[in-house]
Amino acid sequence: MPKRKKIMLIDDDEQQLAITRELLEYEGYDVLTHRLGFGASSAVRANQPDLVLLDINMPALSGEKLSEIIRANVHTKHVPIVFFSSNDEVSLASSVTKYAVRGYICKGNIADLRRKVAAYLQEPHTA
Amino acid sequence: MQTLMTTENILPVGELITSDEQVPPQMIVNHVAEKFFGTTELDAVAVVDGKEPVGLVTRTKLLFTLFRRFGFELYGKDPVIAIADTAPLLVAETERLDVVIDRALERPPQDIYDEVIVTCPKGLYRGLLSVKQLVIQQGNALASSVLQRELAGERARELEKINEMKSQFLAHITHELRSPVNVIIGLAELMRLAIEKGAVDQVKDRLSQVITSATNLRAIVTNVLDLSKIEAKKMQVAVKPFDLAAVVSDVIENARVLVRNKPITINPAGTAGPVHVASDPVRVRQILMNLAANAAKFTESGSIFFALSVGAHSVSVSVIDTGIGIKEEHLDRLFTAFSQIEDVKTKRYEGTGLGLVIARSMAQLLGGELTVASAFGKGSTFTLTLPYKEPLKEENHAEAQKDHAH
Repeated sequence: MPKRKKIMLIDDDEQQLAITRELLEYEGYDVLTHRLGFGASSAVRANQPDLVLLDINMPALSGEKLSEIIRANVHTKHVPIVFFSSNDEVSLASSVTKYAVRGYICKGNIADLRRKVAAYLQEPHTA
Repeated sequence: MQTLMTTENILPVGELITSDEQVPPQMIVNHVAEKFFGTTELDAVAVVDGKEPVGLVTRTKLLFTLFRRFGFELYGKDPVIAIADTAPLLVAETERLDVVIDRALERPPQDIYDEVIVTCPKGLYRGLLSVKQLVIQQGNALASSVLQRELAGERARELEKINEMKSQFLAHITHELRSPVNVIIGLAELMRLAIEKGAVDQVKDRLSQVITSATNLRAIVTNVLDLSKIEAKKMQVAVKPFDLAAVVSDVIENARVLVRNKPITINPAGTAGPVHVASDPVRVRQILMNLAANAAKFTESGSIFFALSVGAHSVSVSVIDTGIGIKEEHLDRLFTAFSQIEDVKTKRYEGTGLGLVIARSMAQLLGGELTVASAFGKGSTFTLTLPYKEPLKEENHAEAQKDHAH
């Protein structure tokens, strides 16, 4: 049986983390969660997930800044990052370009969540 | 010279020559100096060789040279050309005034007010133009245009600030509304999956979470709508007599629930009541609940007092806490929407940050005011003041009966 893909969720909202985790576990993924930005990049490095879903609006350290940290580190820059946020699509799209992450997923659309996660996990990794 | 209007800016400078004083280049400096001493209005002379202007001597610079140590001894007997400015600004008499002034003012600071030498098309000396005089007379025109420029600049900055605030405002609302909605959607989907599995217990648990989120959302929507109503000047108040002390007691009870397990004592203070006022009890309660919720949120330990005081023409309720307080420089922004959260991306405290804006607007609608005093690190005191008229004794009794009946 092929190894289960590992997804890491980073968000400041405990409830959101729990819900998304369960939805993704239903899809057959291994899901790790990390609340808030602090320590998140170490957690990414330690766990080497196949995909990171990163919330943007977090206290003190925003998801955007965190994505820069993860991408700057030689041990984590290969990990695909996807912004997972309540922000509107236009703003998310420009954040994706600005911070050169893999893509975005709008919170609140479960079908999208499933489809896009599957698609991002299929894509070949580029360092 | 008459006062220039701005339309005269385009006059050719030939028409504005102030003097045609000149000295030959070989005239001795001392004699030139005497000329200046003897004629108080004389500010400058051109040094003209035949008919050609070759230099400029201004009173200020001449005197400066001479009154330096040994100035007279050093230069007094020299031909004036030796100490003249041999590269003065020369302009044709057909040149426009505004162009000439610009060129004059572009010079190094120490030369700005030097006279300008006006020549005929052939380059022969015609006369001098006093930059000082022109600037003074143009003074008003210049000053008002500078002032206008500054005002326009300030207006532009204000508008940009307002625009920026509107964008931030929208970003906040978007996020504050979307978050609970997304949680509800997620929970609903999980419930659907649970039903498919037949896991009824999970569904029960999820349902109460959905209700909590939906209730939160309702509160936020109410806030946003209230704010919109206030902005559109459509918020209504229904004034009637009621016991303010009773409302305060009710709010205190709620505050105790809000602080939960934190070591905070919450007590009334001041007048015991009843205090009968004529205002909108629903709005007053909303305002006080907002103050109570803030006090509960920003206080970790200590006390929160609700002090009721009655004056001759006004009555006030102060919510006094021992919380984190507010920095002096943030006090202004306290009553502007979302100032609590600097940037939606790095929010520190939960909440829409709309509460105080709405509370203050409501207080004002009721004819009162909402004010704050605070010491960072020590605590804050928010005071709601309402207009108050001492009611007649019979009214008191009748209203008290009515209140108890409810």
